[in-house]
Amino acid sequence: MPPIRDKFTIHSKAVVCQDVELKGDITIGAGTIVHPKATIFAIAGPIVIGSGCIIEEATIIVNRRKEVMRIGDENLFEVGCRVECPSIGDFNTVSARSRVHHTVRISNHCVIGVGCLVVPIEDEVLDDFTVVYGPSAERRKWSGRGKVQEMDLRRKHAEYLREMIPKFNRLRRGDGV
Amino acid sequence: MAPSVLYHCPCLSTSSVPPPPHLPSSSYSFHPLNTLFFCEECDAVRCNQCVSVEVSSYYCPNCLFEVPSASVRAEKNRCARNCFMCPNCRNTLAAVPADPPESSDGRISGSVNEGPYILYCNHCRWDSVEIGITFEKPTGLAAQLQKFEDSAPDSLEFDRLKEHFDAFLRQSALAASTTAAASAALARDIPGVGKYNPLARSTNNRGYGKDKSVNRDEMTEYRSRSEISQAAGGGELDVELMNGLEEVDEVASLDQRWESSWVSSMQTKDLKPIRIPLHSKRSKRCPACTHILIKPEQKSQSVRYKIKLVASNYLPGIVVVLPHVRQAKEELLKRNLGKSVSAQAEEPSVGMVAGRSYEFQLNLTNPLYDPIEVRLSVQRVHVSTAPAKEGVSPEKAKRPPFAISLPTTKFPISPFAEAWEYEDDEDMFGVEDDELGIGPTSATVKTTKDKDGRARPKTVGVLERKANKTVVGGEIVIGKEAQGSVKFNMLVSYTYRSDDPAPSESGDMDGHNARAPEIKTFSFYTVVDLGPIIPREEVKLDL
Repeated sequence: MPPIRDKFTIHSKAVVCQDVELKGDITIGAGTIVHPKATIFAIAGPIVIGSGCIIEEATIIVNRRKEVMRIGDENLFEVGCRVECPSIGDFNTVSARSRVHHTVRISNHCVIGVGCLVVPIEDEVLDDFTVVYGPSAERRKWSGRGKVQEMDLRRKHAEYLREMIPKFNRLRRGDGV
Repeated sequence: MAPSVLYHCPCLSTSSVPPPPHLPSSSYSFHPLNTLFFCEECDAVRCNQCVSVEVSSYYCPNCLFEVPSASVRAEKNRCARNCFMCPNCRNTLAAVPADPPESSDGRISGSVNEGPYILYCNHCRWDSVEIGITFEKPTGLAAQLQKFEDSAPDSLEFDRLKEHFDAFLRQSALAASTTAAASAALARDIPGVGKYNPLARSTNNRGYGKDKSVNRDEMTEYRSRSEISQAAGGGELDVELMNGLEEVDEVASLDQRWESSWVSSMQTKDLKPIRIPLHSKRSKRCPACTHILIKPEQKSQSVRYKIKLVASNYLPGIVVVLPHVRQAKEELLKRNLGKSVSAQAEEPSVGMVAGRSYEFQLNLTNPLYDPIEVRLSVQRVHVSTAPAKEGVSPEKAKRPPFAISLPTTKFPISPFAEAWEYEDDEDMFGVEDDELGIGPTSATVKTTKDKDGRARPKTVGVLERKANKTVVGGEIVIGKEAQGSVKFNMLVSYTYRSDDPAPSESGDMDGHNARAPEIKTFSFYTVVDLGPIIPREEVKLDL
C-alpha cells in the first residue's frame, strides 16, 4: 500500500485549529471551521470539504475508498460523529455520536439524529429532507418548513465560531507537506 | 451474577424470621439496601411495598411549573401552559415562528421572528402545520387549543357522563344528608380521600340496566353519545385503510396511539400533539406509626428531600466479595486489553465449583457516628421433610448442600467520621481489642484457631479494619453434588451506645434513665447470595 502523502489545500478564510489530525489529500473550502481534536483521514482517496462547514470536536471523517469523498457546503458535523459516506450534499446536520456508513449517500437538508447509526448493508441514497431519528433510526421526511431559519442559524453559528476560535486556539496555517 | 447482599423487610408480618432463601417466593421480601427506609419511632425497616405513599406536589416535567392540587383536576392532569408532546417521537414541542414567505430573490426577509407560530419538534422535525394548527401568538397555546380539545369525542363523552351521574348523585345525596356532610368534611381535611358515598357502592358502576337494590338507587339508563361500533377506528374503516396502504409509516404505531385515552384514527397524519402529562412528587409514611419517612422539597427543580430516613443511614452496609472471582476477573481484563469484543466472549466463566471450598469476604460499613459491635450468625435452614412427589424430577435437594463458617464473636466497627479526621493509620481504628489483636496496618495475617483447632492463615474472622469499614472473612464448603445458587440467610445484630433520650422504647434498654447513654441493639436479617455453583462434572449427572 503506497504511503499516504499529505497534501492539504486549506482556503485562507477557513479556520482550522492546530490540534486537528489530518492525513492524506484534503481540500477545505472557504469559511469552514474545524474544531480542535477533529480527525480527517483521507486514507485511500482524497476528501473535498465545501465552504461554511462546521466540524466539531472528536468527529471522524474517513475516506477508505479510492474515489473522492465530496462534502458540500454549510454542513454541521456535531461532536463525536463518524462519517464515511462517499458524498454529502449541502445543509445537512450529522448530530452527536451518530455514525454514517460508507454505503450511504446523503443529499441536501438531511438530519441524522443524535446517536443514530445509519449503517445499511447495501448502498443507499438518503433523499433530500430526510430525517433519521430515534434509537432504531426511523426515518421520515421533513417538510422543509423552518429551513430558512435553520440556514440562518447555521450561518450565524459559523460566523460566531470564526470570531471566537482564533482567540482561544492556535490555528494551522498554510499547506502541509 | 455478582454476589449480593439483600436485606429483609418483615413488611408488618408477625414473625421476624425471613423465609428460607431457596424458595422462589421468598425473593419478594428481600431488598437491596438503597431501596429501604428506616422508621425511627418503630425502630424497624420499611420497604417500598409496605410504606404508604401520598402525593406531595404535581409539576410539569417540561416547564417545571408546580401545579397546585386544585387545578390538577381542572386541567385533567396535564400542563396548562405551552407544553406539548410531539405525537411522532414524544419529544417536547417548541413554539417557533413559521418561515416568512420567500421574497422574490430568495433572500431572507427581515421579519424572521414574527408571523404565525407553529409547534415544531426539534428531534424528528414534525410540525403542526401538517395537521393544520397554527397560532397567533407564542404564549397561551393551551388556551388556543382549548376549543379543539373540548370538541374532541372523549371530552364530550366525559361531560355527558358527568352530567348523568351528577344528577343521580345529587338526588341520592339529599336522602343521606348526614353522611354526605361528614364525608365532605373528611374529603376536605385529608387530600386524596374521595367522597364516601354509601349508595354508590350498591349501584352498578356503569349505571346500565336495572339495579337490584332499593328504589332510590334506580338510575336512568345511560346512552352514550356515539355507538362504539361506529366510532372512529373500528371495523370496516380500518380494513379499507389497510387495503389502500402505500407505506408502513402511514399507520400510527401503538406507542403513538395509546397516549390518548380514546380510540383515535390509525393514520400517522391524524396524530395530534398531546399536552404533557404532569408528574408527581410523592412522600412516604410508615404504615404503623404514620411518621413521614420521605418528604421531598416543594420546589420542582430541586431533587433533595426535607426528610430522608433511609435505611443506609442506620443499618450497616454489607458488600460480599469472592476474592478468587475478583482475581480471575482482573487477570481476564489484563489479558483482554488487546483483544476485540468477539474474542472476549468465549472466555470460560469463573465461579464456584461443586465439591470445593472457597472463602468470601463481607465488607461492612458503619453509617452511625457511634462505634458499633456486630455479630453475625447464619440461619439454619431445615431441609423439608415432605416426601418428594412421584413424577417430579429427583433433583438432589431443593437446597444445594453447603456449609458456611463465619466468625461468631462480636467485632466492632468504628464510627463514621469525615475523611480529614482520619489523620494516620493509627486513628483509623477504634478500641483495640485484645482478642483480635489488630496491628496498625491493613490486612493482618494472624494464625487463629478455627473450628478444627488447626493453626493456619486466617480466613475466617476479622480481616481488616479501616476507617468505618471492616472486612470479615468467611468460608463456604460446597457439597459434591450441589447445584443451584448459594444463598443463605444471615442474622446481623449490632449494639451501639446512643446518647439520645428515648424513654418510650422498651426491652432494648439497659435500665438507665433517659439522660445517660444507653446501649441499644438492633438486628435484621439479610440474604447473602454468592452466585451459582458450577457443577463438578457433566458426566456424573447423566444418570
